[in-house]
This record gives sequence, structure tokens and C-alpha cells, in this order.
Amino acid sequence: MSKVENIKKAADLLYAASTSGQACEPIRTLLDEGDLDAAYKVQEINTKRGLEAGRRLVGRKIGLTSKAVQNQLGVGQPDYGMLFADMARTEAEEVKLSDILQPKVEAEIAFILKHDLENPDLTMADIFQAIDYAVAAIEIVGSRVKNWDIKITDTIADNASSGLYVLGSSPKKLSDFDPRLCGMVMENKGEPVSVGAGAACLGSPLNATLWLAKVMAKAGFPMRAGDTILSGALGPMVAVKPGDVFDVKISGLGRVSAFFSE
Amino acid sequence: MSLITDLALFVDNAARTATAIPQLTDSNPNITMDDAYAIQALSIAQRRARGETRAGYKMGLTSRAKMVQVGVDEPIWGRLTNQMREVEGAVLSKKKYVHPRAEPEVAYLLKRPLEGKVSALEALDAIEAIAPAIEIIDSRYANFKFALPDVIADNSSSSGFYIGNWHSKDTDVSNLGILLEVNGRAVQIGSTAAILGNPIRSLVMAAEMVSRSGERLEAGDIILAGGATAAHALSVGEHIRATFEKMGQVEFVVGE
Repeated sequence: MSKVENIKKAADLLYAASTSGQACEPIRTLLDEGDLDAAYKVQEINTKRGLEAGRRLVGRKIGLTSKAVQNQLGVGQPDYGMLFADMARTEAEEVKLSDILQPKVEAEIAFILKHDLENPDLTMADIFQAIDYAVAAIEIVGSRVKNWDIKITDTIADNASSGLYVLGSSPKKLSDFDPRLCGMVMENKGEPVSVGAGAACLGSPLNATLWLAKVMAKAGFPMRAGDTILSGALGPMVAVKPGDVFDVKISGLGRVSAFFSE
Repeated sequence: MSLITDLALFVDNAARTATAIPQLTDSNPNITMDDAYAIQALSIAQRRARGETRAGYKMGLTSRAKMVQVGVDEPIWGRLTNQMREVEGAVLSKKKYVHPRAEPEVAYLLKRPLEGKVSALEALDAIEAIAPAIEIIDSRYANFKFALPDVIADNSSSSGFYIGNWHSKDTDVSNLGILLEVNGRAVQIGSTAAILGNPIRSLVMAAEMVSRSGERLEAGDIILAGGATAAHALSVGEHIRATFEKMGQVEFVVGE
């Protein structure tokens, strides 16, 4: 098969897994090893499929923002995936395990923009100006690939292993907390299961956001006013079991919780 | 001399001369936890006899991950003396230690004694001030390898500490972000929440555990509440800096 056909086939496999609820084999064998461009093309096919089906694009998630995870996957940069409105859950509703394949949770800071970021030649000052507010978030990542058997091209193709997300309910200004030094603890039924700080996300979640905004502007899909950015994990991710109740506290920023069906 | 005394002199000598020794449990596999604390008490008595004065206590194994790793369900503790205190910003003399590691911690300074079972409220009420700290841990055992009684007998690996600026007792230290940097690069990132979910719980545990040995936390004592991240093994020439959200920095340079 040609490269184009293989990219299409990978997208079809991942799409079928997401609709059937049956995880698929890794798709990396269909692409050249480490061909990130091809992997993003796979992702784009399913993004278009979603948009054509009427899904509303509301932002991006940034993944692979920890040095440890980058080393694990043998890459020197983060990756990104699309956030659609149907992926958002509120703190008040039970997250159904049937809505996501192989869920794991990560504690993150979400930024919501008030300006477009169209110029790829951005600096941190542009990011400060563009952020309307920040809020504590739980990202519920998932993988359409069996047993999370992923390499870098698998996860990029699979929308950066994104799934669902929950935003907290007390938005804060950037000046109300310390994005780099803020402590983070995630508890499962009161037991600390993941601990970290802002700096675990590329030195600061703002660094990750700057990276994303540049990449998206360069790719011609700039971040827009109103977009949500899940900026990356502040501590290790944790596998979800039925009935789990996660509580995330981020110092100065507030808290957010998510509870799962049995 | 009893076995306990012999072993106390053995670990004290190892600490004093910065010499690695074999594990006590290799040749004495039946040492109990009580024996281990008795060895620790006697080895510290040796230091006191040489003129060192009391500075407080340290807590160890205060993270859930470490407890699981070692197979215990409560922390361990050791004693601090004035000789272990390094001056913040000053060079650490590596040759005073066997294989030192640095670990960011929260330090409490007490204004009132604490003894036995106390509530978190009583513990908070006994605090004079809170500071960011770096503990220098240094197992005297070859290759940092030990069983639980070994490490307790060896003063729970405590060997030195740096204290940063003191802050108000009202500082909320339940979830402060911490960066441990070596030559400006982050090597460990965490939060004080890693200390038993909240460092105040460590102070409560210290009051109870220390009282089992017939001592109590005294006014003027410094209590190191336990490591908030994994420890970093020190090499000569490194600049070590721990930055705490809201509490500032503690730093030093590792010298010969």
C-alpha cells in the first residue's frame, strides 16, 4: 500500500476502535518509524471526520510534557491533540467508564484564552496577554491502542491519547498563583496517589502553552479566543479503577474532582 | 559490653570517620526495631559525650511510596545534633560524609514541648516557625544498602541539614511546590503534600514515636518532617538549590 493509503488505514483503525469500544493493535507498523508528520496526518483525518460530523472543536491538549515521559518515548518534544466539546465533563457528573477506553487521570492546569494567537513568532509576553484565566483540571486520557502499547507515532495518531476532561469551578487570573512553583497533590479517596508541581510540565505550564501556540500558528490552525488548553501533567498519571474518586489540589489555583462509575 | 553497646560504638565510629561499614543485620539478623532504636540512642549518646548538643529530630520514610517500598506502615525517626547543622549557603565538605544525598524537607521550630499522642491542632500550636530545608542523608552502610533495623540504628541516615529563612507558623505548608535543582537544572519536582499528605501529620507522628523512647520534642527543637522528593546523590562541584513555593530557597555548593 502507498503511504497515503497506510495513513488512511491507521486513521480508520483508530476511529473504529473509538466507536466500537474495542482497542486496536498499534498502528505504528503502518507508518515509518518516528514519522511524526505522518502520525499528525492520521490525527488530522479523524479531526476532520469529527468536524464533519458536527463535533465542536474547543481547544487542544498538550502531552509528553515531562522529561521522564519524553525519554520513555524517545522524543525531545511534547505533542498535541484536539479537544472537542463532547469530551468535557463537569465535576457534578459521574464519569462513565464506558465513555473511554483504558482511562488514566492526570492533574493539569487549563488555560482559557481571550485573544487569538495567529503569529507564529510568539514570546512569553504574548502568552501572558492571551490568557484570560486558569483553572485546575483533570485530564482523563485514554488509548485506543490495546494495553497502551504505544510508541510516539501511535499516541500522536491517536489524538495524543486524549479522552475526557473536567475543569474545576473557580477560575483564577494568572497573577493569583505561581504557575511554576504551585504544588499539586492528587488523592484517590483521600490517599495521595500523585504529587508534583507546575515545573514538572516543561519547567512551567506556560512554556508548554507557548510551544503549542507557536506550533499551531505555524501549522495554520492558530489558537483562538475562547479555546481551552490542557497544558500537561503536573505529576505522574494514575490508572483508573471502577468507583475511583479523584481530588486534585493545586496550590493557589484551587481544586477539581472527578468520580467514576462502578 | 553488650551487643547493643558494641553496635552503637560501631555505627558511631563509622559516622565520625565517614567510613562505610557492612550492614549490622548481616552478622546479627535478629536485631529488632527496639534494639535498633536503642543502638541509635547509644550512638547519639557518644556524640553528646564528645560535646555535641541536641538540635531536634528528623522523620524518615514519610511518603507512601517509600513505606510500601520498605514494607512498613509508619515512618522512622532519628536525632539531630548541633554538629549536623550546616550554614545555609556554605560549602558542604563532601569528605565529612560517606555518600551524601540531598533531599528537600520542611523544618518546624518548636516553642513548646510535644509529647505522646497529640492532635494536629496541638502540634500547630507548639510551632514557633516553619522553614524550607535540605537534609543531607548519608547511610553509613556500603552502597546505601540496608534493612530497616540497620537504617534506624544508623540514626535513620541523618547526617546534616541546611535551614532556609524562617516563616510564620501560619504558613500553609500542606501543598507547596518544590524544585530541587542541580547547577540550575531541575532534578526533582514535587510537593510538600508528599510528606504523609500534609507535613503536620509528620510532626504529630514525631511526638508520638519519640515518646516511645522516653523522650519528648522540646521547645527550641528543629523537626525535619521528611523528604518531599526523592534524594539526589551529591558530587563535588555541584550547586544544589531547593526552591519552595512561598518560602524561598535553600542552597549550597558541594566541595571536596
